[in-house]
Amino acid sequence: MGKIKKALLSKQMVIAYWVLGLVVIWEILAVIIEHTKRTPENVLPHLHQIAQSIFSKDLVNMDQTALQIVLSNTGITLQRAGIGFLIGIAVGYLLALIMNMFSWAEKVVFPYLMIIQMIPILGMAPIVLAMTKDINKSRIVIAALLTFYPVATNTLAGFKSVMKEKHELMYSMAAKKSDVYKKLLIPASMPYFFTGLKISAPMAITASILVDTLQGGGGLGCMLSQSLKHAMTIYVFWQIVFLSAIIGIASYYLMSVIEKLISPYKKVGR
Amino acid sequence: MAAATSITKEYQKFTPMENETDTEIKIEDLWVKFPDKNGGEPVTALQNINMDIKQGEFVSLVGPSGCGKTTLLRTIADLQPPSTGNISVRGKTPREIRLQKKYGIVFQNPVLYEWRTVRRNVCMPMELMGLPKKYRTARVTEMLEMVGLYNFGKLYPHELSGGMQQRVGIARALAIKPEILLMDEPFSALDEFTKEKLHEDLQTIWSKTNKTILFVTHNIQEAVFLSDRVIVMSPHPGRISAIVDIDLPRPRTLATRDTTEFNALVSKVRNSFEGV
Amino acid sequence: MEIEKLQDRTNVEKLTTVLYPVLFGIFIAVLWQTQILHKILGTDTFTLPLPGRIISIIGDNHATILKNVGATLIVALGGLTAGSLFGYLLGIISTAFPKWGAGGLTVVSAFNAVPIIAIAPILNNLTKDFSKDANTRSMLAKMLVVMITCTVAMSINAYRGLTELKPFSLDLMQSFAASKLEIFFKLRVPNSVPYIFTALRVSVPACVISALVSEYFAEYIIGVGRQIRENIVLAQYATAWAYIFVACAIGIIMYLILLTLEGILLKGRR
Repeated sequence: MGKIKKALLSKQMVIAYWVLGLVVIWEILAVIIEHTKRTPENVLPHLHQIAQSIFSKDLVNMDQTALQIVLSNTGITLQRAGIGFLIGIAVGYLLALIMNMFSWAEKVVFPYLMIIQMIPILGMAPIVLAMTKDINKSRIVIAALLTFYPVATNTLAGFKSVMKEKHELMYSMAAKKSDVYKKLLIPASMPYFFTGLKISAPMAITASILVDTLQGGGGLGCMLSQSLKHAMTIYVFWQIVFLSAIIGIASYYLMSVIEKLISPYKKVGR
Repeated sequence: MAAATSITKEYQKFTPMENETDTEIKIEDLWVKFPDKNGGEPVTALQNINMDIKQGEFVSLVGPSGCGKTTLLRTIADLQPPSTGNISVRGKTPREIRLQKKYGIVFQNPVLYEWRTVRRNVCMPMELMGLPKKYRTARVTEMLEMVGLYNFGKLYPHELSGGMQQRVGIARALAIKPEILLMDEPFSALDEFTKEKLHEDLQTIWSKTNKTILFVTHNIQEAVFLSDRVIVMSPHPGRISAIVDIDLPRPRTLATRDTTEFNALVSKVRNSFEGV
Repeated sequence: MEIEKLQDRTNVEKLTTVLYPVLFGIFIAVLWQTQILHKILGTDTFTLPLPGRIISIIGDNHATILKNVGATLIVALGGLTAGSLFGYLLGIISTAFPKWGAGGLTVVSAFNAVPIIAIAPILNNLTKDFSKDANTRSMLAKMLVVMITCTVAMSINAYRGLTELKPFSLDLMQSFAASKLEIFFKLRVPNSVPYIFTALRVSVPACVISALVSEYFAEYIIGVGRQIRENIVLAQYATAWAYIFVACAIGIIMYLILLTLEGILLKGRR
């Protein structure tokens, strides 16, 4: 009997209870709205209605069902987010390396890094679009901009977190600077680097979707705004909402998985 | 010097240095001062240090906090510049010795790299020297056997106890056959039982390898047990108060700690402190 | 002597930390005004107006600008306060019921990964009937979006702050037979103050960004973010840039206020 109780209260089950609770709240709200609004599905449809739309075969525009629209555009959005993400990682890491190697570089760049964090880059999306005049370029630029900051600051924090004695050990063995980086600083900063990745992966996706909303050309954001304006069924909107949430969470977990592969030495429960 | 084959070339990195005299480390009129953080008078960490250490000796620096023993060790190790005075190690400056990778250092904290296994931690100095992989693997095994951790090579540092981690630190320090081993309170963080075992192990290693060892500790009994000579230091400002010869027979065992001679020497050291 | 050399070095360090970034900033400003920047980036002075012109527009329109700034600030600060308080409350609840707390916080942090784009329209629709006045309705919707962002950051950090106590400090309190409430107020809450600031360092810039982005989706056209978008759509780039400068200024000033507060309240710690 005790075993069953333990299983029922295990970590995974608790999360399941929370999710269940949210579902209940949603359904209650949906019922309220059903009775008070003219077009309830625009505000908060029942979850089973959303589920139904996923499986429905009704053609939403010329030749695609709701699900097909969502999935095909997901690929586009992810691809663009992915490119921006990779560029952002490369730039961010490089920047952290340079800032660590040359103290003048750190002094010059650090305040501007702080300023970039304070600047609402997402808010500047329209301007980047206007400047690059190319929707694809601007998507990549913004995704890269949003990604490189967390990667750069977290990696730099990782470099600086290394205990003085580890440096002294290297110094006492007269290690070359390249060895100090290869064998000490870079491996030591891995956990911090991954923290940066976990923050920026969902953000890159958000950025890509946001830029989509500003102009046509496919992608989840574009479909989202079209659906909101009732150019197509509102269920496309709802499917995108859930899908983007899932993708965001999945990207976070993907980073965790990659981290486990690269850094098996991390203590359990860190 | 004859032309060397490729294998001998690597081993040449280990040729012992020439030494005309017996003296390993010679310190003359050493002063070390630190600037005061608030711009006031500089703090004198070490005052007028004069001492000689012979090759193959085991010498301890003992004293309470603030007596400068760690500063002295670090100055010899070229981790800290002297303010005035002269340190020569076999006729060369500490920096030259360090650049030739002739030092082995063991810190109080084992300072193991948590992303490397035990084997790879011991391996690291040899990687820095550019030694070939085959040699490195063989030497790592040799070192792990010497410190009694042969079966733990594939584990990560966080899976080892404090005493075992420190042994890995010692194995690593010895991996590139340093001439001089500098140890900064390596056993302070360990419990009594582990400490006693490690004392015996260290003594065995020292007698087998004939290194010069400079050992810093605040534990008088540890110093007396391990050393040929004990250098007693006192604080405010840091200075040498006395040098006590330890002429107990070797090898020293647990039983040695109970003898009257041992305890007499411990008392002698204790009474040599000034201003404490 | 060595000592004097060392002290001179620290003074030079302090000077260059301030001097280098300032020089760099002036350098960029010069590049911009002289249009060399335009050549580098491949844009024209229409989409990237000269700083002189931007500043003069700000001067001419400061009344309108202030009105929009006010709207944005109300949303940002309102959401920040509500979100932080609610987040701290969640942290408290999680501390009181640890089993449920950990699971709940995992769910909450999942919200972090949900793109703001998905949340904003939903909330807009949900709050449509809140008030007859479009402005008020929009304010509420926008504040809710900001609130969600801030709640997540604060709740996670609050939980950590209330539960990650130094070893033995809890034992100490228990040895004095302190009640749970006393432990809470005398140990957990003070312990959590640095963590509150960690959360704020993230949520202050985030609340500005969320406010700006949520303005895009709102019904009523007001707010700095919205103005950026509207002016770009109308190809009035100079005005758009004026609002961008203002948005940056808001972000920077708020962050500086936060840092000052932190300096005062955390004085002497660590």
